[in-house]
Amino acid sequence: MGASLNEIKTKIASTKKTSQITGAMQMVSAAKLQKAESHAKAFQTYAEKVRKITTDLVSSDNEPAKNPMMIKREVKKTGYLVITSDRGLVGGYNSNILKSVISNIRKRHTNESEYTILALGGTGADFFKARNVKVSYVLRGLSDQPTFEEVRAIVTEAVEEYQAEEFDELYVCYNHHVNSLVSEARMEKMLPISFDEKGDEKASLVTFELEPDRETILNQLLPQYAESMIYGSIVDAKTAEHAAGMTAMRTATDNAHSVINDLTIQYNRARQASITQEITEIVAGASAL
Amino acid sequence: MSENVMTLQVITPAGVVYDHHANYITARTTNGEIGILPNMISTIAGLEIDELKVRRPDDETHVDYIAVNGGIIEIKDSLVTIVADSAERNRDIDVSRAERAKIRAEKALEVAKAEKKSDEIKRVEVALHRALNRLNVSSHN
Repeated sequence: MGASLNEIKTKIASTKKTSQITGAMQMVSAAKLQKAESHAKAFQTYAEKVRKITTDLVSSDNEPAKNPMMIKREVKKTGYLVITSDRGLVGGYNSNILKSVISNIRKRHTNESEYTILALGGTGADFFKARNVKVSYVLRGLSDQPTFEEVRAIVTEAVEEYQAEEFDELYVCYNHHVNSLVSEARMEKMLPISFDEKGDEKASLVTFELEPDRETILNQLLPQYAESMIYGSIVDAKTAEHAAGMTAMRTATDNAHSVINDLTIQYNRARQASITQEITEIVAGASAL
Repeated sequence: MSENVMTLQVITPAGVVYDHHANYITARTTNGEIGILPNMISTIAGLEIDELKVRRPDDETHVDYIAVNGGIIEIKDSLVTIVADSAERNRDIDVSRAERAKIRAEKALEVAKAEKKSDEIKRVEVALHRALNRLNVSSHN
């Protein structure tokens, strides 16, 4: 019977309180998830339009790209933008993405000088620092519904570093939100910008009047395009984070309930045992007289 | 739909700001002001931070004003699409917020000029330009 009645009682009380907190956190995450999902949807329209205009512009003539953001350079150094959360209590969300990044890096690179990390979110930054991996940029404390302005700092940084040839390609690593139970770690190539994958889309036959000229518009549009792609993955990652937080907290609440059940049974047994013992003692005492 | 109508969509990362029919639009591109009529030749151009004036087909006097912070305009098959970092209709502009942003930008500009940081000056000037543009557009109410 080990624990005394009182001990079990305190344990039950404290577990109950924990389950209340995790239950509340689950609801908070659920509310945030809903918001994030509608936000992601609104952003989707923007991303599609930017993509369409860029495709229209790029496919309207067949000259090789001259813009620095589209030219493929020889890859000497790769940048990884890793999106993690700032807080814990999100289940396997962070370990999932970090594991996939580490295994990918091990597969691709033999030397430390071949890659650099840009960390978005405290967990990722601390993880790489603890492993002595060079982290060239850290952004912490991103809000739950990040605005475009907030994210622009890291996007501008990434684009600038790319243009300064700090690295020759950029991958964004994040958890893609599938539904509230499932998310998958993704690694997408953002820079240099390429349109190879849209081979099935028919190139538009419309020729466009360009004002002032192609290069100027590309100079304005491509950073916007890159920004929107990276921002899109950040929004996606945030949605996945809220979903992971919700699932983790739901599991925690369920576990707390089953612990409370077990403890209650234990408590009742202990109570019963002590009553039985008391009776035995009284009976033994009476017969001794 | 009558022939002399086009659709204007203004899209920002926060969603669709404006989606209506129009029969005449004026916008300021990097090359200068352009007027857009239905069935115009397909065009792509960069926009300045300025106002967008939209004449609506339902009424001769019905005009909407939209503050646009840069971005790109695409005209194709009588569909005008504007993608910008941010955009606001005149009736949605928070005047006191814009006023505060203007004062903040003016102060920051003084500081930046005193410290002679040319990057900072450029950045603040853009912010000031945006605030002034918003105020200007909201005055059409």
